[in-house]
Amino acid sequence: MPFRPGWRPSRRVIEGLFLAPLALYVLGLTLSPALYTLALSFQDRLTGSIPTLANYRAIVEHFQFWEAAYNTLFITAVGLSLELCLGLGMALCLSVPFWGRGLARALMLIPLGVPTIVSAANMRYIFGTVGYLNETLYRMGLIDIPIDWASGGTRTLMTVVVADMWKVTPLVMLILLAGLEGIPGELYEAAVTDGAGPWQCFRYVTLPLLKPSITAALIIRGIDAFRIFALPLTLVGRSTPVLSTYAYFEYVDYLNPYTSAASATILLVMILATILAYFKLVGTEEVIS
Amino acid sequence: MRKRAVTFLRKEAIGLASAILLACTIPSGPLAAEEQSLTVSMRLQESEWQVMRAEVFPRFEKECDCTVLPRDVPPEQLGQLLEAMVRAGQMKIDVLAQDNLRLLELVAAGVVQDLSAYEDRIPATVPRTLTEAGRFRGKLYFFPYRPNVQIAYYNAPRFERHGLAPPRTWTELLHVARTFKEKEGIGRVLFKAWGGAPTATQLYEWIVSAGGDPLVLTDSGTVETFRFLQRLWPYLSPDSRRAKWDTSNQFLAQESAYLAQNWPFGVRLLVQEYGKKDTIKTYSGWAGPVREAHVIGGEVLGIPVGSPHPTLALDFIQFMQSKAVQEIFTSRLGWPAVRTDAYGRVEVWMRPHFQAVAQALEHGILRKNVSYWPEYEKLINEAFVRIVVRGEVVEGTLHALQARLETFQARH
Repeated sequence: MPFRPGWRPSRRVIEGLFLAPLALYVLGLTLSPALYTLALSFQDRLTGSIPTLANYRAIVEHFQFWEAAYNTLFITAVGLSLELCLGLGMALCLSVPFWGRGLARALMLIPLGVPTIVSAANMRYIFGTVGYLNETLYRMGLIDIPIDWASGGTRTLMTVVVADMWKVTPLVMLILLAGLEGIPGELYEAAVTDGAGPWQCFRYVTLPLLKPSITAALIIRGIDAFRIFALPLTLVGRSTPVLSTYAYFEYVDYLNPYTSAASATILLVMILATILAYFKLVGTEEVIS
Repeated sequence: MRKRAVTFLRKEAIGLASAILLACTIPSGPLAAEEQSLTVSMRLQESEWQVMRAEVFPRFEKECDCTVLPRDVPPEQLGQLLEAMVRAGQMKIDVLAQDNLRLLELVAAGVVQDLSAYEDRIPATVPRTLTEAGRFRGKLYFFPYRPNVQIAYYNAPRFERHGLAPPRTWTELLHVARTFKEKEGIGRVLFKAWGGAPTATQLYEWIVSAGGDPLVLTDSGTVETFRFLQRLWPYLSPDSRRAKWDTSNQFLAQESAYLAQNWPFGVRLLVQEYGKKDTIKTYSGWAGPVREAHVIGGEVLGIPVGSPHPTLALDFIQFMQSKAVQEIFTSRLGWPAVRTDAYGRVEVWMRPHFQAVAQALEHGILRKNVSYWPEYEKLINEAFVRIVVRGEVVEGTLHALQARLETFQARH
């Protein structure tokens, strides 16, 4: 009789009760739509029969799908690498005490507060044919006619990467800065006593101890980078599709939720595979501990 | 003392509870008017909503002693929403406004009422072609209220500077595009190459202009159109890749493009927001090798199955077609009128633009409503990218895509 007078719930029951709302939230608003999307991707559009691979066949045969997959991987890999380098550099600078450090930290975090769609619209003013960048290059005598930054190819992908970096590098910096502040100063003192120079301190003290923060930054940003949507959509349109915009166009323009679900599922698999590969490569225990 | 305080608090609590109970039982404003309310689903820009809320809906509310409850529903979601409401037996929309290029899905889903019996209520001043957009298998499901047709916008001072006249044929268009590219080093003629509906609609017009059937990709007119576009592409504005209905106005305003086709809503935007009254001029556009053609777009009104107030809904549709309301649309919103006698209040500067619209409407064509349109749209966009942007062989590519189109046609 669990509710007899004087009965006190066990710790496990209490924990379960506290976790229940979160579990319901995750199940209801995250897992069930994801499962529904998965089911939709295996459903035939016209007959409704299930399972079928017709949707996957249709998208892999489409001329822009592989381009979208490549672009997604390019933006994620190049963007993430650059963000990590830049974010680490910024975090190292801000970890050293100097006058006005607080203000510098606050200023660097401003882009995080700007909605993505607003930053994308702003970037259009910079990278447009008659945008500020072309105007600057023209006034410096470097170009005679405007550069079409959205013409496709690597140049356009780099435009997206740079535009994305402006907004998200502060997040990477913030995570790494928190990691840096957690490294005890005694370790550096001991290393210096043992004759270590700045590079050796960085290589053998900072980097190994920063690994959990780097992992957190890579995973959080990596997932976001794979899902990048508003920025390429606004900045370069269809000339440079990514998987999320590809799924969006399938749904909105071509009224096909089935192929849209298939491309979204492929994106999900890519994200999961990348995270698993990273854990495999670096070692789960090492990066989490 | 303490007892008195408790009694006071108890009285206060009872009073408060009674007040809350009373507030709950008295119907609030919208609820009180529920029996006389008319829910209208539309998709408008904020500036358009403002005119509707301030000048259009209050007139109807006064005339019919009811409340109009506007509901913003994107056209691509309207079909699903109505289907869900019909299935649930809880229709909460009385009147729907829908893009006339997206009607078949509503008719096929059986979510709109047959209005054929009320056809005689359409004013005589509404051109017959506009009414036909709402007819499917002989039944009239929708009444026109806002026609639309793409016109050509051009930057007059820039044309004058290079001694050019607005093109009237494809040959002239090629000449203009080439001249701008040669003189300025960059293309200034815009083609909406964003993809999706903007590109498909523009291609539809061009293919008909070349005497082709847009739904047959191997048709000689289609082939000729793509051949011409292949020649034209190198001279077009690089902004074409980002050009769709909204961004085209921006490119014209920023003067990164000097010539573009677009719906007339851009006129008021370019003048009022960007101050281009003396710069941007309009005309109906250019003809292809066979004829001039402009897809008649715009919106129509319908009544969903199970509408709670069908009689009032029908009155509302008639009201929206009335001269007084159409004059508000032309003078305040810059929309072309559904009837020919509603241009009396148009400002002087707007008149040449409406003349361009009227000329374009003379060459108006209705887009064929087919159930496989989404697949067709995808294929024609693929054809555009592969042939025009990437330079693939015209006939070979179109033949391959036609085979895929036939597969879709067979499945539907």
